[in-house]
Amino acid sequence: MASGEDARALEWAELKDLFETAPCGYISASRDGVIQRVNQTFCEWLGIQGHHLVGKRLPDLLPIAGKIYYETHFAPLLRMQGEFREVALDFLKADGSRLPALVNAQERRDAEGVPQFVRLTIFDATDRRRYEQELLSARASAEQANEALRRLNAEQERIIADEVAQRMAVEETLRQSQKMEAVGQLTGGIAHDFNNMLAVIIAGLNLIQRRISPGNDDIGKLIEASMDGATKAAALTQRLLAFSRQQPLDPEPVNSNGMVAEMSELLRSTLGETIHMETVLASGLWKTVADRNQLENAIVNLSVNARDAMAGGGRLTIETGNAGIDDAYAVEHGIAPGQYVMIAVTDTGTGMTPEVIAKAFDPFYTTKGVGKGTGLGLSQVFGFVKQSSGHVKIYSEIGHGTTVRIYLPRYYGTGEASARKLSGDTPAGAAHEVILVVEDDYNVRELTGQMLRDLGYGVLSADGGQSGLRMLHEHPEVKLLLTDVVMPDMNGRQLVEEALQLRTDLKVIYTTGYTRNAIVHNGVLDPDVQLLQKPATLKALSQKVRQVLDK
Amino acid sequence: MMSRAAMHNVQISGAGPPTIVFAHGFGCDQNMWRFVAPAFEDRFRVVTFDHIGAGGSDLTAYDPKRYSTLDGYADDVVALCRELSMTGGIFVGHSVSAMIGILAARKAPELFGKLVLVGPSPCYINTDDYVGGFTEAQISELLEFLDSNHMGWSTAMAPIIMGNPDRPELAKELTNSFCRTDPDIAKRFARATFLSDNRADLDGFSVPSLILQCSDDVIAPQVVGQYVHHRLENSRIVNLSATGHCPNLSAPAETIAAINSFV
Repeated sequence: MASGEDARALEWAELKDLFETAPCGYISASRDGVIQRVNQTFCEWLGIQGHHLVGKRLPDLLPIAGKIYYETHFAPLLRMQGEFREVALDFLKADGSRLPALVNAQERRDAEGVPQFVRLTIFDATDRRRYEQELLSARASAEQANEALRRLNAEQERIIADEVAQRMAVEETLRQSQKMEAVGQLTGGIAHDFNNMLAVIIAGLNLIQRRISPGNDDIGKLIEASMDGATKAAALTQRLLAFSRQQPLDPEPVNSNGMVAEMSELLRSTLGETIHMETVLASGLWKTVADRNQLENAIVNLSVNARDAMAGGGRLTIETGNAGIDDAYAVEHGIAPGQYVMIAVTDTGTGMTPEVIAKAFDPFYTTKGVGKGTGLGLSQVFGFVKQSSGHVKIYSEIGHGTTVRIYLPRYYGTGEASARKLSGDTPAGAAHEVILVVEDDYNVRELTGQMLRDLGYGVLSADGGQSGLRMLHEHPEVKLLLTDVVMPDMNGRQLVEEALQLRTDLKVIYTTGYTRNAIVHNGVLDPDVQLLQKPATLKALSQKVRQVLDK
Repeated sequence: MMSRAAMHNVQISGAGPPTIVFAHGFGCDQNMWRFVAPAFEDRFRVVTFDHIGAGGSDLTAYDPKRYSTLDGYADDVVALCRELSMTGGIFVGHSVSAMIGILAARKAPELFGKLVLVGPSPCYINTDDYVGGFTEAQISELLEFLDSNHMGWSTAMAPIIMGNPDRPELAKELTNSFCRTDPDIAKRFARATFLSDNRADLDGFSVPSLILQCSDDVIAPQVVGQYVHHRLENSRIVNLSATGHCPNLSAPAETIAAINSFV
């Protein structure tokens, strides 16, 4: 039966061919992992001859990580489950390189179910591993992109939060300045009316004083006391007007160093012995342009506050310096960027809390006891500085002290500071020096007229612009027009414009308690305008009138 | 608070009072003992458990810092055995749990009267005067492999690459009903295991110990078993004919017989 054997041999050869040349690796191994049979395909993949593989243990074909995985996972799980599928392992090739493979393992049992050997099927997973690698790098770069995006978002959020915080700060500043503006309007209105009343009282007192016999001491003292009270009230209304930024300013170039030096003697005596005062004056200090008297007031107010904060004594420092205000700071504080002259008053006193600082410039706000402070000191400083296009800033630390810095715009001109113009007498006039008083308030008009007559002048009066113009037509002898600024129908400025067309040589004095843009531009006098502050004392009236007439 | 027993998925069987506790090593869970532990039920209260992070343990209790060294695992063993009111019991530790058992016994000497150490290694990396079986470079390669996700066994543990993050239950199904392991925790456990060096903890340790040494064990070679035997003053070593690292699975009968001769 040779043909039968031939057929079996043929069949066997075919099966062997199927086994040896299959597109996957085949391994038969003992349950302990010792290789018993391996096909040609697998041998060729590894470049190792079959007889070198038989007898080796499976982990011998694996790199270190595979060995450990085999011992700790593969073999135990194969034991417990009888099979283990789709395990990704690398096999070591003869040339040292690695074959990425996918391995399936299954225990083969006999008819009684007793495990005989393990059949391993190995697929070349080079391509698949490459896809996986690409997938992994794609995932990694997606994660990186996400992370970058997350960071970007966080950064954006931070920027937006900063922006919002900055805007809120600016809005807070704006709200504060709007509040101050509103309080200023209110204060200004009250002060103006109050001023007119004071004008009447002071003028009346002046006249009474001149008329009573010099020997009557009792009445004289009473009048002096009344004058004193009225003058103080007038000073108070000045501060209210200063805060409301409606005081007429008389700005001039100021050398702050010289001014502080001049003031220091006066300040030393005001501050008392327990307070050591020193001045630190910058060399090469720029000039500023400001109302000299108001700036002095501001420094005095700050020094008095400093003294009151140092009940047990301490050190007061007045410092000057040049300063630049940059765009960011300027925007935040609503001022113009540029160069400023800085004057700082520093004490070593009790300091202020942020809450107190926030209210420090409010009028009538005071931390001093009842009767000790008016609450107008810092508001004068604030109003004056703001009206002068400057800036004021408080730095304070509780228990360490406070620094208030005033910034006033640098003056670029060459003008010199004028000398102080004060004299003590009340110069008189003559009857041919005719003065036309235009004033809508009856009492003020009458009293002003009376004062001028007492000084010896010829006086005409009118209750408004139209009647004033008529008077000028009828009385060419009028030398000087003394007019109120704010009047119904025609204001002082309009009156003056028309009057000067009639009479080009007419001299003019404005008088006002508070001023509007008709005469004052941003609170600063037009340079050629003469202004008399209401309520004017007899002395101030006499000096101003004489000065203008004599020009 | 959850009991320690619940956290460790403790299974108790058998008739005490002496207690024998079986601890699994790196790579699997208490299933490792399924062919061995039942053989002791007639004489002992038999306890098997999963280390935190493995098998059916409470994965939320896994704290990467606590379990970055074997100490954290040893603390767990102490706490668990105390909760089970063990004194003078028998601790059987496979692979890395052999050393965990020694550390636990040092922390709480009252717990164990005898230790069985299956494939112990106090240090896997060779040094000048010590053979651990691995060079530093090999362990680095292993750890790098673990860190780069594309290696074979993380694919095998859970099919993360082809896996479907929207359907985590699929991953569970595709992996194994035995030895469920979170790949990330497995990596950390591998790090704690293969970077450990507890050789100094062998000195002065006098609790009677039995070392079971496999032939042809790549993870704990014969020379390491001999080293442990020589440094543990009160130890016996039995060389098993079983090959590989897991005689508890590949040669349960031989393993049972060796333990029985000792306890």
